[in-house]
Amino acid sequence: MLELKYVEKSFGQSRPILHVRDLRIPSGEIVGVLGENGSGKTTLLKAIMGLGEVKYRDIAINGRPVQEQYDQLAFITEEGSYIPKLTPLQYADFLAAFYPRFDLVYYNKLLKFYELEPNKRIRTFSRGQKSKLEISAGMAKGAKYILMDEPFLGKDMFTRRDFLKLMIGNLKGDETILIVTHHLDEIETVIDRALIMSRGRIEADFYMDDLREQGKDLTAIMAEKAGYKPDRYKTVLE
Amino acid sequence: MELLTFQDLQLNNKMPVYVQIALYVKRRILLKWAVSGDKLPSRRDIAMQLNINPNTVQKAFKLMEDEGYVRTSSTLGSVIYLDDEIYGRIESELTKEMVAEFIAQAKEANLSFKKTVELISELWE
Repeated sequence: MLELKYVEKSFGQSRPILHVRDLRIPSGEIVGVLGENGSGKTTLLKAIMGLGEVKYRDIAINGRPVQEQYDQLAFITEEGSYIPKLTPLQYADFLAAFYPRFDLVYYNKLLKFYELEPNKRIRTFSRGQKSKLEISAGMAKGAKYILMDEPFLGKDMFTRRDFLKLMIGNLKGDETILIVTHHLDEIETVIDRALIMSRGRIEADFYMDDLREQGKDLTAIMAEKAGYKPDRYKTVLE
Repeated sequence: MELLTFQDLQLNNKMPVYVQIALYVKRRILLKWAVSGDKLPSRRDIAMQLNINPNTVQKAFKLMEDEGYVRTSSTLGSVIYLDDEIYGRIESELTKEMVAEFIAQAKEANLSFKKTVELISELWE
């Protein structure tokens, strides 16, 4: 269970950039964190990871403060969490020292699958190769809480499909996954639950099966919660 | 003993995914494409075939086991199990559903009962 009792990020008197209270995510759930750009999705993931400054932060994993158990968490981000001056193999040593469940065999398999040179400095990789390395490292950490920020960004359809299959195939059932993405169509059957964020707050929080039973559609709810006006584009054309 | 695959199941957004999986298996049973003794893939394989959370597949297995047409053992894995009673139940459930859906569409198009039956007789052959 990942429990965000209270998280707030704000500057001075202005409206908080992030304000989340009493969010509970039981083990084994795959949660889509959705919303427009600037709605606070990345800030939320970073707040869980303890990255960036926040005003208040009371987050627990199984009742204990998250600060004591970062080895339970993996953060896969487009910005990259690897160490650029290391080679993938040197980076593996670093990961193995920090993550007790780091799976070197699986990591090497992923490097091979993604055709990444194990003995070249990560710094020299292309953007696409860097993000594949980020994924390989993140998935091999053996973390029970995996946070992903736009893992599909800039990737072609087949790479996205492979990534999803690899992710699903590696789940043992007790991992909790939070995934920030704009690719709704590709993840709407993967996720169990959706959080829709707007202006730093969670505007909607529901289970996909409940949504389907009510005959509702994810895109429509997103548009409603984000205040999207379907006819507004016409003002430009008039 | 055949192995069922789920590759051609197109998931929709109208029903919970685990219900769609169970319905897919029931349709195969109704059409006799799946028979007693046929094996189901592992939960992980189904999850990968459909790109869904393995926990959702687990939920589908629970439903299918509760409804009686899937049995799971540690030696054989999960297999289809049918007897006359279970097959009859699936047949009546699915055929009634199919006709109910058709009736709903006919009503939406403002067709009367009489007109609908006339059209069925005319188009049946």
